[in-house]
Order: sequence, then structure tokens, then C-alpha cells
Amino acid sequence: MKMKTLELLRNLPYRLNRSRRCLFVVVIAWCLIPLSARATGIGDILSLFQTITSTLQGSIGGALSEMRNLSAATNNFRQQIIWPLALINQTRAFVSATRARYTGLMSQIHSIKNNSATLAFPMQLESMFRGAQSGSIGQIPSIYTRVYQPVAQVGIAQPVQRNLMDIDDAMAMDSLKTAMVSDQTTQGMLSLADSLEQQAMTAAPGSASMVTAQARVADLETQAQLAKMLAAQLRQEATKLAHKNAVLKQSATATRNLQNQIQQVLAHP
Amino acid sequence: MNRPTLSRLWKFLRNTVAAVCGLAIVVALLPTKARSQLGLDPCCAIMSAGLNSISGLLRSVVAKPLGSIQQNEQESANFEQQVVFPVAAINQARNMAVQFEGQFVQIRQLFQLPISSATLRTPQLLEQSLLSGNPGALPQITSNYSALYGTVMPPANAPQPVRDMVDMTDAEAQAAMKKAVEIDALANLELQAAEQINQQLQSAAPGSSTILEAETAAWLVRANAYTQSAMAELVRVRSIELANSSGQLKFSASHAATLHTTGNQLLQRGVQ
Repeated sequence: MKMKTLELLRNLPYRLNRSRRCLFVVVIAWCLIPLSARATGIGDILSLFQTITSTLQGSIGGALSEMRNLSAATNNFRQQIIWPLALINQTRAFVSATRARYTGLMSQIHSIKNNSATLAFPMQLESMFRGAQSGSIGQIPSIYTRVYQPVAQVGIAQPVQRNLMDIDDAMAMDSLKTAMVSDQTTQGMLSLADSLEQQAMTAAPGSASMVTAQARVADLETQAQLAKMLAAQLRQEATKLAHKNAVLKQSATATRNLQNQIQQVLAHP
Repeated sequence: MNRPTLSRLWKFLRNTVAAVCGLAIVVALLPTKARSQLGLDPCCAIMSAGLNSISGLLRSVVAKPLGSIQQNEQESANFEQQVVFPVAAINQARNMAVQFEGQFVQIRQLFQLPISSATLRTPQLLEQSLLSGNPGALPQITSNYSALYGTVMPPANAPQPVRDMVDMTDAEAQAAMKKAVEIDALANLELQAAEQINQQLQSAAPGSSTILEAETAAWLVRANAYTQSAMAELVRVRSIELANSSGQLKFSASHAATLHTTGNQLLQRGVQ
């Protein structure tokens, strides 16, 4: 079949005469002219333009318009409801006013001296342990001993009693020293609180969380110091309890000894 | 040149010309070539009008809202950068954390100052255990306590109720001392944690500082719980003290009753 077609095409110039050849060319050309296609293309182009236009106006334009409205609304919401500048400044002013109103007053109250001793040694001791100066801790034992006397000498009191005196004195002095350290750190914490308040006066809503976190850390520090003070109080109370108990034990022993001695006296008149 | 040759040449030229003309007609009639080359096609006007319309729509329907959105976004960004999250305020907060670090270290060092004061050997050992802040030293407290305060008296020295009371009191006193050591150790850990969180804050961002705040809040809850447990121990110490007072009053009453009875008996014997 293929061979036949090739043969026909090869012999075509010889089979067709001149007029037929012209007719053949015209028919081929006519077939190739896309007159109807052109008409169809214009319609398609118009349809395409209409689709693009409607898409631009409808889907894209509508969505963009919604986005614009939403963006404006969000912006307004942030600036007028969540972070209104006027309220932010008002709050800063409030912090500033609060600081001005209370800080000085509280500082004055805190700095009131409660010293009440009237004699020389007690005055020295009181002044020392209320001084909030950890550098003076080393001087406490000597001044304490002047007021409360040293532990009884050997021979004056029994070893058990001397131990009791010594541990009681030690716990008392330890607690006084801890109180001095605590007073000093209290000053430090008050200074930190003041810094935090100053920071709050100029803080922005975004940086306030950082200041708050800082305050929380300072709070944790205070809590730890409070725990240390509580530990000192526990030691004191436990020592007091142990002291009373030890005295009871000694009383029991003394009573028993007395009983034995009385029995011995009664047995050998 | 002879005639047949000329005739063949003429035929060849004629066919060639016819083929070229036919091809030219076909090429000329191809729609794309005709439109692009000449520009007089009615499609061009339609396309021009359509493209102009699209361009107008892009300007009015797309470009305007986009411009408005961009303006809003810009305003929003400026507001956030200048009012909500100003870098200066953020850096100031970070600098404060740097300043605080020094004070925290100072506070921790203050609480590490030696405060022991006992002068005799036995009290020194107990005091050393009590102030160690080392939970590993808890077993030593029992032995050091017994060495200093003694043990429960033997049965021959006191009636059983008195011995019970003494034992209970010793137990509570020791427990309170041990609790004090534990609380000291916990407080040291809290101080360490506070310093570490503070170091994190020095490089924190507003977004991450809330996480650190939550972490610190958790530590605070924990610290409060430990403080509460110490308070409970303190309450127990005072309760035992109160109970001892009550117990001694009861013993006194019992002794007074016994003395009264014995006195009565002696008096009755004397009368008889």
C-alpha cells in the first residue's frame, strides 16, 4: 500500500496536466486557509478576556479587598484595643506616680531604728546585730560574750552543762549573724525592686515580659533567703527543745542519784 | 542548445514557479503570519482593548488594595517596632539582667559566710553538721546530738511516761535540725537556679522571656512548697514544746495527788 502511494505521488506530475495542477494547488491552498479558525479565535479571545476580567474583579479583587479590610481592622485592633499608646503612657505615668508616692514613705518606715538597749555592752551588741553589715560578723562573739558571759570554766559547771551553754550560745550567735546577713540582703533586694520599678516605668509592652521574668527571678532569690531564715529559726527552736529535754534528762539523773544517796544514808545511819 | 533541452528547461522552470507561487499563497494565508506582520487584523484591536481593560483592572482592583495592605502592614510593623517591641527597651531589660547577676552572686556569697560560733568540741561537731547545708551529713546529726544532749534516760531513772516524752522531744528536735539542713541545701539550689535563669534572661527575647517567666514561676511554687514544709516542721517543734508543758503539768498534778494521798495515809496512821 505504501509503495503504491509513493508510486502515485512520483507519477503525479506526469498524470496531471497544467490546468489540473493549478486546480490542485488552489484546492490545497484553500484547505490550508484557516478562515473558520480565525472566526473561532476571536470568539475565544473575547471569552478569555471576559474570564480574566471577571476573575480579576471577582475572585482576586474581592479577596484583596477582604484582605485590605482585615489588615486595617487588625491594625486598628492592635493600636486601639490591645496596645493603645495613650493607655501605655498612662500606665507608665501610674507606675511613676506610685513609685513617687510610696517608695520614699516605705523607705523611711524601713529605716526607723528600733534600738532600745540602754547600757554600754548591750548597746554595742544591739547596734552590731542591727547594723546589717556582714563585715561585722566577726565581732559578734566578743561583744556577745561581754553581754552574756563566756561558757563557765571547767570545774565551775559540769561538762554536760558547759556543752549546753556553748551550743545555746552558738545557736543564738549563728542566728544573729544570719539575721545580719539577711538584713543586708534585704537592702539588696529592695534595691533590686526599685530597679525593677524604674524599668517598668520605661518598659514597652514587649519588654515588660522580660522585666516580669526578672522580677520572678528576684522573687525566687527572696524565697531562697526566706527559706534560709526559716532554717535558722528551725535550728533555734530545735536547740531550745533539745535544751529543755536535756535538762529533764539531767533532772531525772539527779533525782535518781539523790534517791540512791538518800537510800544509802538511810541504810547506814 | 537544442530545442528539446530548452523545452525541458522551460517545463522545469514553469513547475518550479508554480510550486513556489502555491507555497507563497499558502504561507501568505497562514493566520498567524498575516496577523503579526500586518497589524491590521481586527483581532489586534480586540486584543488591545482587552489588554487595556485588564491593565485598568489590575491597577484599580489589584494594585490599589495591595498598596493599601502594604501601607497597613508598614504601619503595623512600625507600631510594633516603635511602641510594642522597641529594641532600646528590650536591650535595657537585658542590661538589667546583667546588673542583677552581680547582686545575686553577692547575695549567695553573703549566705556562705562562716557563722559558726561554738567553742567546745562536742557543740562544734553538732554545729558543723547543722550549718553544713549538706543532706549527706544528716546521719551525723543523730550521733552528734546524742553526744551533746544525751540519750533517753534508763528505765530506772524515770517512769516510762517521762521517758516517752523525752524520746519524743529528742526525735522532734533532731527532725527539726535535719529539716533545717535540708532547707539550707534546697535554698542553695534555688539560688543557683535563680542565677542560671538570670543568665538566660541576659540574652532572652520578649517571646522567650515568657517561657523563662513560666520556668521561674514553677521554681517559685516549688520554693513555696519547701518553705511550707519548713513551716510545718516549725509548727511541730512548737507543738511538741506545748505538749511537753502539758505533760509536765499532768505529771505535777499526778505527783501532787500522790503526795496528798501519802500525806493523808501518814496522818491517819499518826492519829491511830
